Amino acid sequence: MSERIEVLQEIVARNQVWPVMAAKWGVENPVPPWKTSLDGLCDALDRAACDENIPDFKARRDEEDELSATVYSNLPYPENQLVALAHSLVARGVIDEAELQQRLASIRERLEA
Amino acid sequence: MTDHDHDHDHERTVAPMVDEITDFEVLEIALRELCIEKGIFTAEEHRLMTEFAEQIGPTPAAHLVAKAWLDPEFKKLALAEPMTASKEVGVDWLHPTGWGTPSDFTAFQILADTPTVHNVIVCALCSCYPRPILGNSPEWYRTPNYRRRLVRWPRQVLAEFGLYLPDEITVHVQDSNQKHRFMVMPLRPEGTDGWTEDQLVEIITRDCLIGVALPKAGVTTNVITATRPAIHPGNAG
Repeated sequence: MSERIEVLQEIVARNQVWPVMAAKWGVENPVPPWKTSLDGLCDALDRAACDENIPDFKARRDEEDELSATVYSNLPYPENQLVALAHSLVARGVIDEAELQQRLASIRERLEA
Repeated sequence: MTDHDHDHDHERTVAPMVDEITDFEVLEIALRELCIEKGIFTAEEHRLMTEFAEQIGPTPAAHLVAKAWLDPEFKKLALAEPMTASKEVGVDWLHPTGWGTPSDFTAFQILADTPTVHNVIVCALCSCYPRPILGNSPEWYRTPNYRRRLVRWPRQVLAEFGLYLPDEITVHVQDSNQKHRFMVMPLRPEGTDGWTEDQLVEIITRDCLIGVALPKAGVTTNVITATRPAIHPGNAG
């Protein structure tokens, strides 16, 4: 579980974490705007946890704790929650790393259009 | 005509926003889209859960406690039938699916403080929290640091929140789990005689409902605590 995943390491290295972004743009919201959608994602995943390889609530949180204290110890919350979830899904083979990389590029292109 | 009757935009009439697409925003969308495409959940299920996450907060729990302070009969109801009492402050624990969210089970208990017993909640296993009535847990509640240490050294951890309890008060640490959720009903503080429910709600902060603070007239904000990283036993010298 603690093996590094390149595409996620690149995201960590770019460090667009909310405290940095909020300070840069003068925003006072304590958490990033994607946080509630992430909460919805976690709840929806928990509901689907009977499926093969999908982590259940406890496994998801255990993996988040482990990864947040090790591989992603430099990330603040909730960035560590998000990246740990991505890590779990890639490590468990639910999402393929190349597929994720491709999707990140296409979404960025779409949002910046 | 007043001296304000003119046609211009006042500065900062719109709150500033981050005008930059971050990798984390993109990552959240990517995970969500891929899960939906793989049939792990539907867009509709995600929307339902996200709407739930957007509308929860600690206000209903504060109202519940304020009502209990003002009405002994409601306090009895809150302690005997917390689900029914929750409905009176607008919270249906079966929302939004008909059986609650997948991670918020519907066994709920309210722990009433007494002059000799102080309650505080934790989830030693992960971060179980009474979300429907108290909103999302604060960051520190999720940390292994709080979870591990509160159980072993409750007075020390409470002191880190600025709460020093005399020895004659017993500290009861209630561990939440995947079957049961809890919240604390603190004692009504001095100096609040004659206050209305809304006035009382102001001082019943989230921290008081977790048990890491006590309500006090004039104090309406949570304690700000630095999040301490856990020391991994495997790495400890």
